[in-house]
Amino acid sequence: MWLVFKKELKELLRDRKTLFFMIALPLLIFPLIFGGIAFMTKQAIEKAESKVLKYALVGEQYAPDISEHLQQPDKFTRVEIAPEADFSQLIRNETVDFVLVIPDNYSADVLTAGQSTIKLYLNDAGLNLVYQRVSEITKQQSALFQQGAFDKLGLSEAQQHALIEPVVLEKVNTADSRENWGEKIGGMLPYLLFILCLQGAMAPATDLGAGEKERGTLETLLISPIERNKIVMGKFLTIAFAGSMTALITVASMAGWGLVLSQGMALKFVADFMGQIGIIDFVLIFLMLVPVVAIFAAVLLSISIYAKSFKEAQSYMVPLVFLVLVPVILALLPGVELKGGWAWVPLTNVALAMKELVKGTMDYFQLIAIFGSTVVIAGAVLAFCVYWFKQEKVLFR
Amino acid sequence: MIEIKKLAKKFAVENPKKLSEQEKKDPRLKGRFFHSVVDVSFACQKGEVLGLLGPNGAGKTTTLRMLSTAITPNAGSIEINGINVLANPLIARQKIGFLSGSTGLYGRLTGRENIAYFGQLHGLSADKITKRIDELADLLDLHSFLDRRCEHFSTGMKQKTAIARAVVHQPEVVILDEPTTGLDIMATQTVLDFIRRLKADGTPVIFSTHHLDEVAELCDKVAVIDKGQSMFSGDTASFRALADGSLHKAFMASIQTTAAQA
Repeated sequence: MWLVFKKELKELLRDRKTLFFMIALPLLIFPLIFGGIAFMTKQAIEKAESKVLKYALVGEQYAPDISEHLQQPDKFTRVEIAPEADFSQLIRNETVDFVLVIPDNYSADVLTAGQSTIKLYLNDAGLNLVYQRVSEITKQQSALFQQGAFDKLGLSEAQQHALIEPVVLEKVNTADSRENWGEKIGGMLPYLLFILCLQGAMAPATDLGAGEKERGTLETLLISPIERNKIVMGKFLTIAFAGSMTALITVASMAGWGLVLSQGMALKFVADFMGQIGIIDFVLIFLMLVPVVAIFAAVLLSISIYAKSFKEAQSYMVPLVFLVLVPVILALLPGVELKGGWAWVPLTNVALAMKELVKGTMDYFQLIAIFGSTVVIAGAVLAFCVYWFKQEKVLFR
Repeated sequence: MIEIKKLAKKFAVENPKKLSEQEKKDPRLKGRFFHSVVDVSFACQKGEVLGLLGPNGAGKTTTLRMLSTAITPNAGSIEINGINVLANPLIARQKIGFLSGSTGLYGRLTGRENIAYFGQLHGLSADKITKRIDELADLLDLHSFLDRRCEHFSTGMKQKTAIARAVVHQPEVVILDEPTTGLDIMATQTVLDFIRRLKADGTPVIFSTHHLDEVAELCDKVAVIDKGQSMFSGDTASFRALADGSLHKAFMASIQTTAAQA
């Protein structure tokens, strides 16, 4: 078995395609993609923030203060329009970026005039920051008017606060920061790990089963004096190793690049958060991943060994990704917790257990039960794979 | 020696509707099963070379796969030097050197690594493997490319390396499926010389071929298979005698017998 494993591993590490998916992609491509997206988003926001917006103002006579605020040539350019013009059409043909319509009851004396509603016409599809930039001006005015009203009423600061928000609901969170962040991040961790393991195992699985059939090397291996279950185990271990390594390298790469890209900003947060989790929980998270990887490796090898060719194997494996996504997405749904029936749904229970481990709220007896049941499933799938590998109708289709 | 008796093998047809008209008319198709080999018997003694002949689709490769233990027959027996192959496939595999129709080399391993891997699978020590590879490299003229990856090999290089891999453990019986197909004259000569060498060492060799000149040059015995049945099994002289000394005519006469029976 170890002979087969060693040889498969040697071949695997000499395969550029596998190396690309297992090492280069996680190390370079993912950070480049994420870094690229972050860079482009930042550029788009900066562009939207610095764009000189063309605007029209209707009812200027009611709000000279707002008109004055808008007179910033580096930020806004005024366009004259008829008050009865079709605002939507003007925005659509890019004559203006927005139209501001001031009502006739707009007044600094809010106690007399009451609340006034200024209408902002804009095309809000896509990133434009028009609402944000205009609301900065109206908020300023709103605060000024509010203060004026309070002064007129002669209210103390405490009375002003009480008037603004008569009843305050103060949240006293009994969850510590680990549980808080665990709830937010913990659900994504198994999603990421499962998909990475599956993706990392797919290429070698295709190569070690259908690929060997296609190249004619499988027949040669079958007639060597080694039991077929040992051949399966050697191949299975190689696929599982590749899947685990891909996940580990990717997670490590993302963490490393995250620190680099955020120039130390994330360092304290990551260090604090990681410090709270503890080494035992990390070990348990990866221990929970072992039977999951075993299930993936055995299923992928069974599929690959059934397929007549590389292409056929790949076509069978694509739906498997969706099958794996379903139980992991279930674990992300609100209200789905590690209780009752969910504790017995394969893969979903592992995903939920990983989340609980990150949060630090795992019941370790339940963890043993989940680990045990997943190991049993992995064993059953592996036993099927061995049985499958011994079938002539599968090997010589 | 190797002796096979009344060997038979059938395969379930995955999708009978997808068969061609010619395949549907084949008398070996019975219901959902295709009887690839119906009744094949022959024997090859120590130091003999047996040429396995037959048209395409006759059942030669299936027969050789059964001999190699890659697949299990539905009926019949195979014996190698007194060992029942069907009952003891793992022991039998240590005695057999098999070259399949495709060279079956791992492209990302070098020629040396390919041969060494199978030596290890046969339980040979590292020292023995090194010595044996050197010996085979001399015999099959492998030195110039032995340490290059097989994915860059020519057909001849691949075939010679594959033969070396098949015999690295000094098997008691050697089975070769069309070993000279696609080879140039020089590579063919190296392979034929190697078979001659095996014969001289007393190793029984069974090889399938379409080249009657190779049969004439090398074979002590001939077995002809057509439509899964043994049409002839005996020494080359008796085979020649079927048609006034002509191997070609003798072969055609054997095949026509099955055609007449069908």
